Amino acid sequence: MAEAAIAAAPAPRLRVDSLWIAPPLLILAVLFFYPLGLIVRASFGEDAPSLATFEQVLMSSRFLDGLYHTIVIAVSATAGCLVLGFILSLIIAFVPFPGAKMAGRLIDTVIALPTFLVTLAFTFIYGSAGLLNETLMHVFSLDLPPIDFLYSQWGVILAEMTVYTPFIMRPLLATFSTIDQAQIEVASSLGARPLRIVRQIILPASLPALVAGGSLCLLLTVNEFGIVLFIGAKDVITLPLLIYSKAIQEFDYTTACVIAVVNVVLSLGLYSLYRLAIAHFGGRRAGLV
Amino acid sequence: MLVWSKPWRIATWAVAVPLFLIIYGLPIGVIVLASFSGQWNDILPSNMTLVHYSKAFRSDSFDALKASLLTGVIASGAALVCGTWAALALRNFKTMPKRVLDLLFFIPSAVPSVSVGLALLVAFSQPPFLLNGTTWIVLIAHFVLISAFTYGNVTAGLARIPVDCEQVAESLGARPFYRLRRVTLPLLLPYLVAAFSLSFALSMGELGATVMIYPPGWVTLPVRIFALSDRGAIFDAATMATILGVGTLIVLAILSKVSNRAAVR
Amino acid sequence: MSQVTVMERTPHIAKPFVASAAPAASDGSRIGFENVSVTYGALTVLHSFTLTVNPGEIVALIGPSGSGKTTALRAVAGFVRPSGGRILIGDRDVTHLAPYDRKIGMVVQNYALFPHMRVEENVAFGLRAHGAAEDVIKKRVPECLAMVGMSTYAKRYPRELSGGQQQRVAIARALAPKPQVLLLDEPLSALDAQIRRSMLDELAKLHRDLPNLTVLYVTHDQSEALTLANHIGIMRDGKLKAFGGSQSLFRHPPNRFAAEFLGRANLLPVTDVQPLDEQMAKVRFGDVTLSARNHHGLARGSDCLVCVRPHDFRFSRASEPNSISGTVLSVQWQGDVHNITFDAGGETVRMTSAPMANPPRIGEIIAVHFDAAEVTLVPEDASHG
Repeated sequence: MAEAAIAAAPAPRLRVDSLWIAPPLLILAVLFFYPLGLIVRASFGEDAPSLATFEQVLMSSRFLDGLYHTIVIAVSATAGCLVLGFILSLIIAFVPFPGAKMAGRLIDTVIALPTFLVTLAFTFIYGSAGLLNETLMHVFSLDLPPIDFLYSQWGVILAEMTVYTPFIMRPLLATFSTIDQAQIEVASSLGARPLRIVRQIILPASLPALVAGGSLCLLLTVNEFGIVLFIGAKDVITLPLLIYSKAIQEFDYTTACVIAVVNVVLSLGLYSLYRLAIAHFGGRRAGLV
Repeated sequence: MLVWSKPWRIATWAVAVPLFLIIYGLPIGVIVLASFSGQWNDILPSNMTLVHYSKAFRSDSFDALKASLLTGVIASGAALVCGTWAALALRNFKTMPKRVLDLLFFIPSAVPSVSVGLALLVAFSQPPFLLNGTTWIVLIAHFVLISAFTYGNVTAGLARIPVDCEQVAESLGARPFYRLRRVTLPLLLPYLVAAFSLSFALSMGELGATVMIYPPGWVTLPVRIFALSDRGAIFDAATMATILGVGTLIVLAILSKVSNRAAVR
Repeated sequence: MSQVTVMERTPHIAKPFVASAAPAASDGSRIGFENVSVTYGALTVLHSFTLTVNPGEIVALIGPSGSGKTTALRAVAGFVRPSGGRILIGDRDVTHLAPYDRKIGMVVQNYALFPHMRVEENVAFGLRAHGAAEDVIKKRVPECLAMVGMSTYAKRYPRELSGGQQQRVAIARALAPKPQVLLLDEPLSALDAQIRRSMLDELAKLHRDLPNLTVLYVTHDQSEALTLANHIGIMRDGKLKAFGGSQSLFRHPPNRFAAEFLGRANLLPVTDVQPLDEQMAKVRFGDVTLSARNHHGLARGSDCLVCVRPHDFRFSRASEPNSISGTVLSVQWQGDVHNITFDAGGETVRMTSAPMANPPRIGEIIAVHFDAAEVTLVPEDASHG
């Protein structure tokens, strides 16, 4: 045991070596923590620091509305991602179909592409003059587009599900590849049906990946901006969008800063959750390392 | 293999493959299709045309493409240097200080991009750093947003390169810089390329912070795409989106080839 | 031998290591541990470890995993920092020296060749790191590759070599800068049995060619240690449990652990030591009287163990001295030997014998004896268990 512990890294030597961390730390401090500190300061008002603006903003219906939408969208999208991601990963890993490898590569591609592309695509598919509505209007000879969910929070949730499901699938597929196929074969030979195998063998093994992937998903959906901006539905305002409109459209920087502080705190909380999940299950088991 | 009976397996595929295509194939397909269409009033577009592409490589759109590529390369390069430096320097730390510093370098990835944009806007519109309205502020925003990812990738790479190699190098008389140059960095090369690829892809798609801070002369592709789609030019937006997607993937493919060659050697 | 003459004829080659070091004294390559302790938090993995490896000697450290043998080697290399004590190489106190200033060669279990360099670049690495001139490198690299029989592989990449070939390159790489001390950390355990045996022969030959090289060899395989080493140290729980010349340690193990770890000896509990002279003593095993060497000078009347190697037993025809009898428990034929276990007074005893046409049957009572000069009394190890 002890001998394995030694093999960590070249033994730390001079204390002077630790000064090497200073340049990147300084850059990070000036470019990130200093600006972050300034919005915290700005959120307490221009002159004498007070909580007045804070109270005012936190009580406003626009903020509460934004917070509500942010949470509902994030939680629904994450739940959707978990279910969809689990099912798709199961099929790719355990019922391999011709082209499953392609599917895996497609997923990696989606992760690399900007999120708002999906929204753009949805406009062409589910928009009022989109593929789906045109088809339905032709087939059923309708005058008005029958499908109209894109410009509501359902549109946002569906778009986020599409974009973030790969973030669940990646760790899941990594976990599935570590499950011993023999275990499943033995279970099958003992008469276990697929659903039972999923429930008793696969689901417990993939729990770490689901928790870690889920909390990452929650973080990303809370912070999502492009999708909401591109859909541009009037009554679907999330916190990031609220910050944008306050600062850029209304030039109300103090309010924007207050909301940004709340948003940052919320994100950091979710990030801690994510780190805790990884620490608890171990990065390797969660398929993230 | 989970489903043994053939009919069930075919049934599973019959559901899965179309589902997959609808969720991931269709969106990509329609954007590409739209980028070639002149009109789309029916189920399928009519008047296939290349006019959007010829527009894309002129004036504003082409400037946006250039701005995005430059931003991506510069910000990713800077983030790579900084992230690698930080990851290497952090190896001199143990336990608690290491964990705290590690967390500090990861935090930018947890903060929403719009808030980062706002923070930079607030901070760099006042002395001592007056950068608002310059290209610098865009580069800084991209650098900050991707730095955590490069740092994370390089750290993960460092954990995987064989420790023995570095120690044997030291026992052979290699001083720290010699070892770094001749052993550690070459072994790390595949991870450095992967880190750069990820940063580049993230930078190419960055919208939240950029839209808060971009100066008129430095419009990136995502901002341009938003502007186009906002004023209803959705075919042009689709064209730019296709260029953005294809361009990003081409760069990633080239980099992954480089990385594979480095790993094999 | 030819290798040595080559090196003597071209003294400038030795430059890399001679440049900053004192001229090589006769004991310049001694490795000394003086009360070295290594701790990780609350865990002590090396307890006040003291050991000397004399110049030109091969000392093997053996022991079960977790016994601290690798820690001791890594402390010499400089990758583990002792919490107490001193480490000397020659007359230099290297305890606080960086690994790159210690002038050692090191070979590890998984070879650790630099995957991005060709074989010749791997071998040249140490010379380049010391700033050796290009013409020196051009001469020394082929020399080292020839030494390990890898001359034809100079342009290959490590991944194109087999495990045994990679380990040869690793040895050439370690020797290229002419270290006076070579550290071998389980160098053969990643190889399969057949290659391991031939590599063992080659290591022995290499040391005959480089008689001034001091070697610290860490292994868990006792046969490697017995084949190569002049002295063997047996470790357990971070402590040196036994140390001695390979032969004497094998024949006269100082304690139960050493006897069991080195060569799987039978240890029969005996009572009432009666020294006969300086060398021999009589003891009682049940109701038989046995005689054995009293190598460790055990006191009259004390209880101890008698250490009998399985191959020291012979079948007794008549009532010979030093004879014990027992019931056969198992008989196993292994081609060139028969392995027999039998129960003697409640103790399970193992013996090996030349293959027999009519081996004893299970349940049969057999009588065996041993030569008193071949077996040793071993004190019962109080700390055992």
